[in-house]
Formats: sequence, structure tokens, C-alpha cells
Amino acid sequence: MQAIVVDHLTRRFENIVAVNDVSFQVGVGEIFGYLGPNGAGKTTTIRILTGITLPTSGNAYIFDYDIQKESIRARRCMGIVPETSNIYDDLSAWKNMMFSGELYGVRLPDRMERAKELLATFDLMERKDDRVRVYSKGMKRRLTIAMGLINNPKLLFLDEPTSGLDVQSNLIIRQVIRDLHERGVTVFLTTHNIEEANVMCERVAIINRGVIAAIDAPEKLKATIQSVQSIEIGFDHPEPGMMEALQKIALVNEVRKEGDKVRLFTSHPSDVLPLVIDYLQTHHIRPLSVNTHGPSLEDVFIRLTGLEETSRASSERGGS
Amino acid sequence: MSYSPEYLASDVKGAWAIAKKDLEIYYVKPNIYISGILFPLFMLLAFAVGRAAPLVSLVPGLIAITALFSASSIEPVSVPIERRTRTFDRLLSAPVSMFSIVLGESISGFMFSGSICFLLFIPGVILYQPALISIAILVLGIILSCFAFASFGTVFAAYPTENVGEVMSLLNLIRLPLIFISGVFIPLESMPLWGQTVAIISPLTYASDILRFGFEGTTHFGPWTDLLMLVVFAIIFQVLGNFLYRKFNI
Ligand SMILES: Nc1ncnc2c1ncn2[C@@H]1O[C@H](COP(=O)(O)OP(=O)(O)OP(=O)(O)O)[C@@H](O)[C@H]1O
Ligand SMILES: [Mg+2]
Repeated sequence: MQAIVVDHLTRRFENIVAVNDVSFQVGVGEIFGYLGPNGAGKTTTIRILTGITLPTSGNAYIFDYDIQKESIRARRCMGIVPETSNIYDDLSAWKNMMFSGELYGVRLPDRMERAKELLATFDLMERKDDRVRVYSKGMKRRLTIAMGLINNPKLLFLDEPTSGLDVQSNLIIRQVIRDLHERGVTVFLTTHNIEEANVMCERVAIINRGVIAAIDAPEKLKATIQSVQSIEIGFDHPEPGMMEALQKIALVNEVRKEGDKVRLFTSHPSDVLPLVIDYLQTHHIRPLSVNTHGPSLEDVFIRLTGLEETSRASSERGGS
Repeated sequence: MSYSPEYLASDVKGAWAIAKKDLEIYYVKPNIYISGILFPLFMLLAFAVGRAAPLVSLVPGLIAITALFSASSIEPVSVPIERRTRTFDRLLSAPVSMFSIVLGESISGFMFSGSICFLLFIPGVILYQPALISIAILVLGIILSCFAFASFGTVFAAYPTENVGEVMSLLNLIRLPLIFISGVFIPLESMPLWGQTVAIISPLTYASDILRFGFEGTTHFGPWTDLLMLVVFAIIFQVLGNFLYRKFNI
């Protein structure tokens, strides 16, 4: 049995195909990342899998229950954390938890115990009787996740759980996901944060414009694009003409200036490195730092989603 | 549309949870009191002043319109707001059927209007001193009316908008004319034939008729027909609600 089976799922809106003939499976106990740029169809996929939106065609199964025909059984297994923190502003965190538990048929003593546990885990216990209206964004997000876990789900859907949160909230959420994983809970997580997918997920599907471009373990995806390994050199002040000179070194595919650093792309970093050092020594240039990088999931993502141009623009602004 | 009774227990519990949550959040919102209580009261007073009728004769009509306006005032406010805050998705993705959601929304309107009508009912009983059997029929009539009207309000809230005003104007487009064709102000007998025909399809007609019967002993359709029709309307609105929410909200 698989936790999720998606079989040729398509969802059309008036004139766009938000999800286009998507198929994949998620094993029980797996942390599965669904990675894609804005508008790729991530939320639409989750809405179909949780039965809020109907697919135009295709089928989806949650623990073998057809999400359309046996939606109630399927939903009993799952916890849902939607993109927007949809909590009741006029109720306290505690009452939000109680309502959520009641809606999922969790018995009173169980839901009180579970709510205490979860509010403590998410560091909300002290504020549990405050109206949620006065909560910060991160607190609301944490409460939304806590509510999604009140029924002890076997499968948790997280739609961009950490986007826009500070380090503290992020760490709590990541730790919770790891703990769930240890207890055998399946996690389906959408994100456009590549690093998050890289560190959290066992397998990642990359979706772009409603189509799945690749599905595999992050390391395997990286292995498919060995050509984008790189050497990064930091300088005190760049010499004129250096970029051109570096570009001429054999086996260097591309040279890119990234902030105060220069990055040389190559599929053979170990061969290129001595040549670079040579060049620097002959020109009496002292590097501040030298690093080599394997292909990042970001590189895979850029390659597969054809976002090359946008990414270059953002690198030049100093991001990476 | 099929319903599997296997889920009945969890659906009823879910409906109750939804109703309690609605009451807790929305009974403090002032616009619910304005459109649900003050508005029908002013309508009636305006009418009474024009006609110089004895105030006491207004009690059955007042309870009937208050039942309609208060029962159908919570969902048309709560559902669009919950669409905007996305909390409505929470209900749609919960392990309960649409039946449970529609029922839960209706129960919250029912409880709200039921308690208000009860407050009006007590002075009515003191003024009219009806027989015990009439009191029993009145209580049943009020309960059925409030539930039918709450289901009526829930149907309108199915209109897929995040804007309370849109649902409210749609609702008032229907709800206001009902006052004039349902024998609340003008007895059915003195209405033209077309008016009497239209009155048959208005649930308010039966609510007002049963209240008049209970307090004053006069009736147009007879109490059992009134009660039966209120049940029929409640069922129609529940089924229609289920259909419309499915059609427009998922
Ligand atoms: N109800 C709707 N009506 C019309 N179009 C819609 C609707 N919902 C989504 N879409 C369209 O479907 C596409 C995919 O949207 P979706 O919300 O699934 O993207 P996403 O991957 O979650 O993006 P983001 O990262 O911005 O959340 C978008 O082009 C969006 O405009
Ligand atoms: Mg999204």
C-alpha cells in the first residue's frame, strides 16, 4: 500500500491547466517534497488530494481510499495545513484546537491531552487563552500546524509550512516534521524553498506549469547535472580583465560574478582548480576564500524549470 | 446525491461542533442583531403606527418575522467571512459530509433565533394566556419555523462569494417581499387571489399561521398543515443547500 497514489490527475480552470496529467506515488512513512515556482500547481494538487477541489480528470488515492468516492475515510487519515493560516481569529488557540479536534471526531479527553502536548511543542502554551487575532504571523502558522495534528494523522499535508517565518519558528516546524517522520507519519510538503526540500525530503517532485519535470531523491537529482559543479573564489578587489582570463581556462564552462565572489562552472573542478591557482599566483592575486560546490538542488530546479534568466538576475543582486 | 448512514454519528457530532463554533464567534457581531432583531421590530412598529392596531395583536406576526430574520442572519454573514479567511476550507476538508456542514450551519441559526423567539414568546403567553395544548403547538411551531428559516439562510450562503453584502442583498431580495405576501400584516383572507396563491409557496405563511392559531385561535390552513409544511420546507432547504454547496463550493 502507498500513502498517496496520484494517477493522471488533471485540473483545468477556465483557460489554464493548473495540474496537467500528473502521476506519482508517495510511500508510507516518506517525506515527499513538492517543489515548484509560484503558480506551478502545488496548492491545486493539495486541494485535490484533500478533496476540496475536484479534478477535471484522473484519480487520487489516500491509503487506497479513492479521494472522490471515499473522501471521508481518506480524510480521517490526514492532517491538513493549508497555505494560508486559516484559524478562527475570534477564538483562543485552545478553542481553535478543541474545535478542530471535535470536527475530526477526537474524543474529549484525548483532544485535551493532545492539544496540551501540541501547544507545548509549538511554544504556544503560555498564550493559549489569548484570542488568535493578536498572534504574530509565526504564531498563527504554528497554531495552524498544531491544529492539523490534533487527530494524530497518518499523513500530513503541509502547503508551504515555513514560508515567511523566522529562524525560531522554522526550527520548531522542521523538528516537528522530523519527529513525525520517526513515528512513521507520511509527510507531503510543498515548497518553493529549495534548501528546505533538500534538507527535509527523501524524495522530491519538481513541478512547473502543472507538469512534473522530475521525481527523485535530492542527491540523485543533483547527480543528473554534474556539469554544474563550481569553484567559488572570493577576492579582496577584483583585477580588471580577470573575468575574461578565467573564462579562457580549459574546461571552464562559464564564469559568473556573484557579489564579491566569482564562480566558475565546470564538470571537472579538480582539474580546473590548479589552473586557477596558477593564474592567480602569476598575477599576484590573493584570494580571500576558495570553495568548491557540487550541483545544488537549485541548479537542478533551474535547469528543469527553465528559470535560467531569472536566477542569473537574482545572483547578480548578490543572492544565490 | 447519495448519503451513507455509516457516517451519521460523526456527521451529527461534526454539525454540532460547527454550530457551537458559529454561535461562539458570531453571536457577538452587532450586524447580526441589527438585521436579525431590530430590523423586523422596526418594520412591524412602522406598520402598527400606520394602522393604529392594538400592540398586542402584533405578537404572533412579530415572532414570525423575527424567527425569519434572526434565523437567516448568521450563515449569510459567517459563510462569506469564512470563505475569505479560508476557514471554510477547514470544514470542506474535514472528515464530515456536506450534509453535516449544511446541518451545522443551520443549527447555529436555529439556536440563535430560537432563543430570541423564546424571549418574545414569554410575554406573548402572559398576554394571551393560551391553553396548554396551544402552548405545546406554539413551541413546536416556533422550533420548526426557526429551523426552516435557518436552513433557508444557509441556502443563500451557498452563493460563492467572500462578500457578506452580496449574500445579504440576494437574501433580502427574497426575504423582504415574503413579509408582504405571507399574511403577517394583511390576513390571507383579505388578500387578492394571486396573493393567496403566492402565499402558499412562502414558508413564512405557515409560520405566521401557526402562531396566530396558537395565540388567537384563528387559522387559514389548520395547525397540522402548517406544521407539516414547515417540515417540508426545512427538508427542501436542507437538500437544496447540500446540492448548491456541492455545486458551487468544491
Ligand atoms: N480557483 C481558481 N480559478 C482559476 N484559476 C486558478 C484557481 N486556483 C488556481 N488557479 C490557477 O492555477 C494555477 C496554479 O495555482 P496554484 O495555487 O496551484 O499554484 P501554486 O503552485 O500553489 O503557487 P504558489 O507557490 O504561488 O502558492 C495558477 O495559474 C492559478 O492562477
Ligand atoms: Mg500555493
